[in-house]
Amino acid sequence: MKGKRIAAVLLSAAMLVSMAACSGGTANTSSAAANSQAAPSSADNTAKKLTIWAWDDTFNVKAANEAKEIYAKSNPDVTVNVVSMAQNDIVAKMNTAFESGNMDGMPNIVLIEDYRIQNYLKSYPGVLSDLSDITKTDKFMDYKLKIMTENNKVYGVPFDSGVACVFYRSDLIKQAGYKDSDMQSLTWDKFIEIGKAVKAKTGKAMINVDPNDLGIIRMMIQSAGKWYVDADGKADIANNAALKEALAIYKKMQTEGITVTSSGWDAGVAAVNDSKAATAVMGCWYASSIKKAADQSGKWAVAPFPKMSNVSGSVNSSNCGGASWYVIDKVPGKDTAKDFLSKTFASNTDLLDSLCKDISLVSTYKDTASGKNVNTPDAFFNNQPIYKDWNDWTKNIPAVNYGTSTYDIESKMTEAVQSIVKGSSIDDTLKNTQTEVEGILSAAG
Amino acid sequence: MNGNQFPADGQGKNQMWKTSDKVTHHTLEKKLNRWGWIFVSLSAVLISVFVFIPMVGALIMSFQTGKGVNAHFGGLTNYIRLFTDQTVGKALGNTFIYLIIQVPIMIVLALIISVLLNDDKLKGRTFFRIAIFLPCITSLVSYSLIMKNIFSNDGIFNQMLAHIGLSPILWTTDPFWAKVLIIISITWRWTGYNMVFYLSGMQGIEPSIYEAAEIDGANAVKKFTHMTIPLLKPIILFTTITSTIGTLQLFDEVQNITQGGPANGTVTISQYIYNLCFKYTPNFGYACAVAFIVVILIVILSMIQMKVGGKDNQ
Repeated sequence: MKGKRIAAVLLSAAMLVSMAACSGGTANTSSAAANSQAAPSSADNTAKKLTIWAWDDTFNVKAANEAKEIYAKSNPDVTVNVVSMAQNDIVAKMNTAFESGNMDGMPNIVLIEDYRIQNYLKSYPGVLSDLSDITKTDKFMDYKLKIMTENNKVYGVPFDSGVACVFYRSDLIKQAGYKDSDMQSLTWDKFIEIGKAVKAKTGKAMINVDPNDLGIIRMMIQSAGKWYVDADGKADIANNAALKEALAIYKKMQTEGITVTSSGWDAGVAAVNDSKAATAVMGCWYASSIKKAADQSGKWAVAPFPKMSNVSGSVNSSNCGGASWYVIDKVPGKDTAKDFLSKTFASNTDLLDSLCKDISLVSTYKDTASGKNVNTPDAFFNNQPIYKDWNDWTKNIPAVNYGTSTYDIESKMTEAVQSIVKGSSIDDTLKNTQTEVEGILSAAG
Repeated sequence: MNGNQFPADGQGKNQMWKTSDKVTHHTLEKKLNRWGWIFVSLSAVLISVFVFIPMVGALIMSFQTGKGVNAHFGGLTNYIRLFTDQTVGKALGNTFIYLIIQVPIMIVLALIISVLLNDDKLKGRTFFRIAIFLPCITSLVSYSLIMKNIFSNDGIFNQMLAHIGLSPILWTTDPFWAKVLIIISITWRWTGYNMVFYLSGMQGIEPSIYEAAEIDGANAVKKFTHMTIPLLKPIILFTTITSTIGTLQLFDEVQNITQGGPANGTVTISQYIYNLCFKYTPNFGYACAVAFIVVILIVILSMIQMKVGGKDNQ
């Protein structure tokens, strides 16, 4: 009995400790939350050392490093430190630092995904610096500026376009009896029709879907100028005609058997690289993943995003992902950080043009359209001038308000999508989801 | 045990009245008492600062709604939202499915394996013990990634199925099979851990009682159900409670194998709390409210298990 008592004491201690491990971090943040509104720190706004956080070694980290070299030429006395960190880690660190108001260890410049920025601007005003004086609003694409503007102030420097497109295997489409011209100005109905032919003639799926990632539905609704929330940030689910149509298309693709399912990012890329799917409908940044399969060089082509024929206002252009640079206001050295951005990503067309060659960057800076590399054809994509195409399509991307809670809503939407695919009525399911999303948004209040 | 180390207890007092050197004993007692309090106060302060105060802070925070600078006292809003949030229901449901199915399977497996490996006549017994215990020393993340790889839709397991002419199982994209995969994974990882407890418990069972039972004509099954299990009861209770707590806090495997998917089909409560803080738009108040639900659940479950498991002993 004594042994049991000791075990009981040990267990309850273990429970307490483990609970505290969970609550400890959050409790500390509550006490310090009040500080986040404190006046900006000391007058010293210049620094000899800058830190930049970004998350993709083959993409935005490389871009930051090239910018660093260019900046070093004009400002040799400033040391720039580019840190590569997983995006999830950056988000977790920003969440805790912004909530607590303690900016120790935070970088001067950070890359933030466009879907997330509204939350940081609304929940933590004053944490990010006003960059209106270095981001010239007439120089960048509108849809990109809109998401980083709050009270007529621009808080970021736009980086990459996530212009959506259809990457497709020209050879498989031809085997199925269609031509490259059939892939232009697609509608989703036509896409499914071609998909059925591809499945019948080649045995391959038309597209890969991941039940955890609704990127394709997000792209569809943005092509109609809609989102999970409306322009005022209110939940827009149950009466969202574009969303309903997107879900119907998504379901139809599965019932017609033209999809292959995989879980997680790497599995999706593998499915494309292993020729399991004839197309990938993604943001332009997906090109680097497609190019991993070097043996498929010359077989790929790029077409504009399909539109939804039953939804008025749906265009052959949309967006998926994309990120922008931001300066954290309370980290010492914000003037140097702004100077860095203004001399690189906010104005330097040479840098942006060479990034087009080095990392396949599609910039949202309007002047890059005339750059040398932007107009160069790409051998992997059968000598198609893909960068020029993407630049053109970027201009037509409908601007939407991403709101503050894209990923919370998406998590609820994955549940809705699953029950719809299994046969529930779209209207009833979305009504339910509407209530849940309203709960999320009112809690954000 | 504790009483003997500190004579400040009842025993000391009885002596005090009887003996004549009351004063000296009293000062010794006081001195011991003082040192006792000094020792206790150190850990008391530490545990207050790092455990109790944050717990109270979290409780206060669980009544706050709004994000960032918009946070304000919201009364029971977060707790009310718990009841309308279907993901909480899903996460609780998943957690209990893991609990109800996985813990018994694992405990029974561990018991059977430990009985088999306790046999002196078994050759290579150490090898098997090591082999079965080995999963426990692998990192949670790395074994999860390997499981994910083996059971991915075109992984080794499905290729094996294809070779013997069966259709592949969608382990990671079908909500049912994804749960099965999680259960398989945690069973593989933790069975050996529990086995070690039972093995060490069996070393304490006198072999002569088994001999006596054999003479009385008990077969192996009888010996297992009527002797080994009752004698190991305290250990079984202990492992059941730790496994229950472990399952309620399940995070790493789900995060790495399925990321909670497909469509929150495998999400657990701890993972949902994590998502609310770090994956979604941070909502620490609501996350704290969910965390307190887990506290209440663990307390209730542990009480039930102590009651059920400890009845005979008291």
